[in-house]
Amino acid sequence: MTVTAAHTEAPRDERRGRVARGRVLLYAFLISLLVVFALPLLWALSSSFKARSDIFSYPPQPLPLPATLENFRGLLDGQPFWSWFLTSTLVAGISTVVSVALCSLAGFAFAKYRFKGKRFLFNLMFSSLAVPFAVIVVPLFTMIAKAHLTTPYFALVVPWVAPAFGIFMMRQYTEQAVPDALLDAGRVDGCTEFALFRRIALPLLRPALGALGVWSFLASYNSLLWPLIVVSAPEDYTLPLGIQALFGATGRQYDLVLAAAVLAAVPSLLVFFLLRRQLLEGLTAGAVKS
Amino acid sequence: MTSPPTPRTRPPTGRRAVDAAAPSWWLRHQRALAPYVFISPFYLLYGLFLLVPIGVGLYLSCTEWAGLGTPRWVGLRNYQDLMTDSSFWTSVRNTSLYVVFTMCVVVPAALLIAQALNARGLRGRDMFRLAYFMPVVISPIVVALVFGLIFDNEFGLVNGLLEAAFGFGGVDWLGDPAWARVTVVILVLWRWTGYLTIFFLAGLQNVPKELYEAAAIDGAGPVRRFWEVTLPSLRPVTAFVAVTVLISTAQIFEEPFLLTQGGPGESTLSVAMFIFRAGFQRQQLGYAAAAGVLLFLVVFIFGLLAMRALKVGREQ
Repeated sequence: MTVTAAHTEAPRDERRGRVARGRVLLYAFLISLLVVFALPLLWALSSSFKARSDIFSYPPQPLPLPATLENFRGLLDGQPFWSWFLTSTLVAGISTVVSVALCSLAGFAFAKYRFKGKRFLFNLMFSSLAVPFAVIVVPLFTMIAKAHLTTPYFALVVPWVAPAFGIFMMRQYTEQAVPDALLDAGRVDGCTEFALFRRIALPLLRPALGALGVWSFLASYNSLLWPLIVVSAPEDYTLPLGIQALFGATGRQYDLVLAAAVLAAVPSLLVFFLLRRQLLEGLTAGAVKS
Repeated sequence: MTSPPTPRTRPPTGRRAVDAAAPSWWLRHQRALAPYVFISPFYLLYGLFLLVPIGVGLYLSCTEWAGLGTPRWVGLRNYQDLMTDSSFWTSVRNTSLYVVFTMCVVVPAALLIAQALNARGLRGRDMFRLAYFMPVVISPIVVALVFGLIFDNEFGLVNGLLEAAFGFGGVDWLGDPAWARVTVVILVLWRWTGYLTIFFLAGLQNVPKELYEAAAIDGAGPVRRFWEVTLPSLRPVTAFVAVTVLISTAQIFEEPFLLTQGGPGESTLSVAMFIFRAGFQRQQLGYAAAAGVLLFLVVFIFGLLAMRALKVGREQ
């Protein structure tokens, strides 16, 4: 955990007391927020190890005593958890790879070329961010159902693999990270334009690719509304659909679904922690540049 | 049933065939054509999965259709019906509440937290930032389950804590219409504040230090420095955040759907949920499409107004 070097400017004695008190308040504020943000998740983790009858014991018990793995065993033995898991991760993985490729290519074009209609095309692309999903959901579902393409590997992937947000982000990043001189040098060496992208731009864009990758993975892995509409066969369920169905089927009992929720959160958190720096920095790159 | 041809995405393969047949032509023109080839996959998908559905949606919104057989043309009747549908207006009111809340509470809260995180020489800044961001990483279904658990009216953690602290803990968080709205709003606050914080924090870190020093020399206190230096410098970030929040909250679905199913009654129903319910639970696809078109118009107009007001999208 890096901390920026502390700038101590030797505050005067009378100010020192006030500053110290301010510090204490600041840390108290930040730590209580930390508790507020982390507590619900820790509570779920703890509850997933409680016996069904203990989940709602009163007064609430912070620790699962006695701890049991019964919920996890019941889930993995009795429910097609791994099938949901596989569908979710595969769909998210495929979407991520394809969308990172398409967005970086388009972002590169918008950042590094002058071409006729660029401004118009860019605005067209950007305006699609303002189209609410709710507007296209009914017709899109109708089209996909009519075409018998409701398999998750088509319906959950193809319509969403080129998000305008991703292209915008890649354009911002490419403008900063890829010097024109390098591209010109590549041209002199006889590289085709695609080779310029693949050999020169892509390696320089690696942090942004990571950011976009996590972003797409999470967006796909966590998505609920669209899968809820388009996927109907239980054997095609993704994790959110499976958990949702399980919750309904068990009469809104928490034992199995909490175990499923905890396991489902593992990939999201793993991806997030592995690529946290890229994600947080990449996400803000577009917004901060004036 | 006849199935129309499968839409397929196959961006540059066609080009490559041309390339092989006439290398000299392609090599001569590739520099001019490359950008178009590079952006073409997006526009192909844009056409197929955005423009076409918008067109189909406009058509469906003027029909009555249960999903089978042929849609029956009814002109503007769906729109007229929506205007007198009290459920629809309830959903509009609830959605407006969510939007106003996020703009007036979540966004300022995120700015405040970012300001705190930007304090000089703060230890553990990355850890705080990361922890605050975490809720948005977790699947909404998981989050909603957890909230259902801790806001349970009889045995939930929140009522337990209230009981322990104030000796009263009988709040029916999810069963009472007013409290249910509050709970949804708390969920929104919990889920999105940390996400917005990182944008403000990045903006704050970009404010030139000299500006603060100059203001301090002029004798400006912390409050005046915030109004006269911080806020104006943050304008681009604020604009970005405000427009994003406006557009996404106007379509809010997951939080009320998962936490309360729109209930009790319709007290937490949002417009996106209204559309989902009409289209996919009641098989009124034309009606749902009409509500979708109205939502689009409203979001578009408000988005445009906000962008005008905050001068977004004007480069340089």
